[in-house]
Amino acid sequence: MKWANVRLFALNFWHNAKKPKAFYLLYLIFILLTAYAAVSGIQNHVVQNDIREEHQDMARQSWVNNPDKHPHRMAHFGTFAFRKSPPLGIFDFGLESFTGNTVFLEAHRQNSVNFSEATFSTGTLRFGELSLALLLQLVLPLILFFIGFSSIAGDKQNGTLKILLSQGANWKEILFGRTLGLFAISLLFLIPIFLIVLIAMLFLNSEIGHDFYWVRLLTIVLGYSLFLFVVSGITVAVSASSNSPKNALLRLLGIWLLLVVLLPKTAQAMGSYWHPTPTKLAFQSGIEKEVIEYGDSHNPDDPHYNKLRDSVLAVHNVKEVTDLPFNYSGFVMREGEKITSKLYRKHNEDLIATYEKQNDITRFSSYLNPFTAIKQLSMSMAGTDFRSYIDFQNQADDYRYELAQTMNELQMEYISPKKKSGSEGKIHVVGHEHWKEFPDFNHQPTPFIQTMKEALPALIAMLLWLLITVEILLFTSKRARAI
Amino acid sequence: MMKFKLLLWQCIRSREVWLSLVLIALLGIIGILIGSKHLSKQQAAIAEVKQYQEQHFDRQVSLHNEDLGLLLYYAKFAYIKNLDPLAGLSIGQTDVNPTVKRITIKTFEAQKFDTDLVNPMNLLSGNLDLSFVIIYLLPLLVIVLTFNVISEETETGTWQLVAIQAKSKVRFVISKLLIRFFLLLIVLIFLFTVAKIVLGIPLNINFVFLFSLSILYALFWFTLSFFVIVFKRSSGFNALSLLSIWLGLIILLPAGINAFIASKYPVPEALSTAIAQRDGYHTKWDTDKLATIQKFYDHYPQFEKYGYPTDGFNWLWYYAMQQMGDDDSKKQQAALSEKITLREKTSEGIASILPNMHMQLAFNRLAGTSMSQHMNYLDATDTFHEDLRLFFYPKIFEEKYADTINWDQFPPAYYEIQTNKGSLKILIPLFIASLVMIFMAIPMARRL
Repeated sequence: MKWANVRLFALNFWHNAKKPKAFYLLYLIFILLTAYAAVSGIQNHVVQNDIREEHQDMARQSWVNNPDKHPHRMAHFGTFAFRKSPPLGIFDFGLESFTGNTVFLEAHRQNSVNFSEATFSTGTLRFGELSLALLLQLVLPLILFFIGFSSIAGDKQNGTLKILLSQGANWKEILFGRTLGLFAISLLFLIPIFLIVLIAMLFLNSEIGHDFYWVRLLTIVLGYSLFLFVVSGITVAVSASSNSPKNALLRLLGIWLLLVVLLPKTAQAMGSYWHPTPTKLAFQSGIEKEVIEYGDSHNPDDPHYNKLRDSVLAVHNVKEVTDLPFNYSGFVMREGEKITSKLYRKHNEDLIATYEKQNDITRFSSYLNPFTAIKQLSMSMAGTDFRSYIDFQNQADDYRYELAQTMNELQMEYISPKKKSGSEGKIHVVGHEHWKEFPDFNHQPTPFIQTMKEALPALIAMLLWLLITVEILLFTSKRARAI
Repeated sequence: MMKFKLLLWQCIRSREVWLSLVLIALLGIIGILIGSKHLSKQQAAIAEVKQYQEQHFDRQVSLHNEDLGLLLYYAKFAYIKNLDPLAGLSIGQTDVNPTVKRITIKTFEAQKFDTDLVNPMNLLSGNLDLSFVIIYLLPLLVIVLTFNVISEETETGTWQLVAIQAKSKVRFVISKLLIRFFLLLIVLIFLFTVAKIVLGIPLNINFVFLFSLSILYALFWFTLSFFVIVFKRSSGFNALSLLSIWLGLIILLPAGINAFIASKYPVPEALSTAIAQRDGYHTKWDTDKLATIQKFYDHYPQFEKYGYPTDGFNWLWYYAMQQMGDDDSKKQQAALSEKITLREKTSEGIASILPNMHMQLAFNRLAGTSMSQHMNYLDATDTFHEDLRLFFYPKIFEEKYADTINWDQFPPAYYEIQTNKGSLKILIPLFIASLVMIFMAIPMARRL
């Protein structure tokens, strides 16, 4: 294989592909779609984050403005955690529309994350969302198929291929040359999208300096470049092994339909069939049952808490809880929060594990399907994937736990031991300056290292697909026939 | 008759045609099975709730017999939206929105939008139900069946023969198309029969409408294809154009419209309502008790006889505060539901000129799985909640013992879905779209 010949074929393809007027029409449509997707994506990102920040402030103001009161009232007053959309969410919406963005955080209770875009949408959301990532994952491959389906089958049909081969070119040179040519064309589509993302990130966000946003973007660019090379290679290989351009096109469209629509849907459906999600009731009553077994702080005759009380009394050498040096009710609630949170987390981890098992089928299908590989990679790097959402949930719950326990400790310290129960009234209260001391919830983006861990299989799959594509081209070059 | 037989023979001779017919039937069956799984999952959840609720009340009564106010702090009452079997055809929004709600008599707004356990990845990938097969994939089948109806004749050289022998070329093309439409009809009848049996759908008007919609939808794609192929371009060109139209109509346009609606009508009202109901209730712990109780009696004058207990903690005051969570967030609630209606209206308005979006919304509406029907269910849950309050408030205020109440009268309650009985109006957009296509094709068809 001579490099000069490969280059020749690549350049030849590059020039020929751009000759027809239809190409410019296609390009124009794509650019218009890009502009629309970019504008609506950026606008939505900004508006949503503004709304969430504004409400985070509102909730905080409300919290801080509380007068002196019993800390347990504050534990129930609680606050809200609003999920912020990550900067690269402008590029790949990922799960953004299907995950809730608001959760109420209070003592004793783990509330659901509510108000996803999907809850307020009609059924048409399921057709998909026009994001820049969607254009690259779904539309651009089709465009490449349209441009490349006759790359070899066409020459075969009109006989030029025979001439080429008889003049000393070999199959490898033709296949790799055309693949590179098509790949170069695909970059014409890819580059404007990333220029837009780059500019948007420079202008929009002050925080992108942290957390490796440039590395994320770079990985995304690299990932899509690999993906587009794979798509180009497959297009050329299919074209070479088809006896007419029409057949090549039909095959490529079949591949597209299978890999983009049918396989991903079936993979996820199989996952949830094999690993069904428990009902909310089963989940909650499972926790409830264990709490009762372990110790129910709300049950006055609970053996666990009776034993605990007796031992606390013994240690401090007093007869009544009202003689203890701290508020006993706060102590019991601290213990109760510890137990219920631990049990909740255990069950919640099981639930997440079930979800992960459902998603694993999709994740492993990355090795069979480059379209899934790039989708996973892109979502993870953008920070709009499943892990990032779970990370938000965990952050919110950690904060909730901190809030409840801080209030319990304030109660132990500042509320008179004589106040046995109840949190009503203005006598047994804690100064309002303590509310300000407890910091607000601040949603941190998923750490890069965790993202990397999550994205690694997809990244490996993508690299593997590069090798597979080269292998397919080599294989095709041996088997291909000129007629 | 002979002519039709020959045309049919000519059509089904092709391997691609067979393959795609079998493929769509197979996917349709998978879709029906997925729908059936969705229905049985809900049935299992209902059975679970039924069993649980009884022992739940028993436990609460045994723990808090003497403190009804405390009991009702914990007690949860199930309110269930029983899915229509048609929901198995079109799962719609019932995968993201809960159909079994368990609520306490405390502030309703704090519970209204609580979600079920859902894996967001499942939502993202969407359901492969029959509605998906029909709306997404059926058009592709139509394209495969029709894209070369004329061009195969010109490309194999038989068109000249047809031109000489046929009385009317248009009629020849139309009869070829009719044969294919007939094949597709058989597939649809087969799938709907399977669905009827597997999902146990009664033969009601909505089922008939779903079927008619599907046929009209197929007809629309046939007319669209007819419009493209009468230009007598090559097979490759036809296939490419039809697929581009498919991509635009099925994926790009709806996706673009969603992006438009999402960014034009964001829903900050949901977040404001959440904060308002929280503040509405919780700040009352610090404000004048008398004022809270007075506000409560303004809402429910019938309870004024229970007086104004302001000494220490009491349940009347507590539930009056809880009530304020709902009452003080009324403004935000109204804004929220107005915004939701606006979103739905916009979506439907645009859908009426896009056949596939119209199909999706019409399917969901007929199957009782649309967003507005979920909102109706939430409103009904509100009424259910109000009835519970009105039943329990006096009993709490009179400090009745829990065992004086017959708890058996509270089995899980059911909500009857108002599936709007389908009306012919629902078919109109598809009719018009098909007619437009035919009219657009006429000038070219004349010159065939």
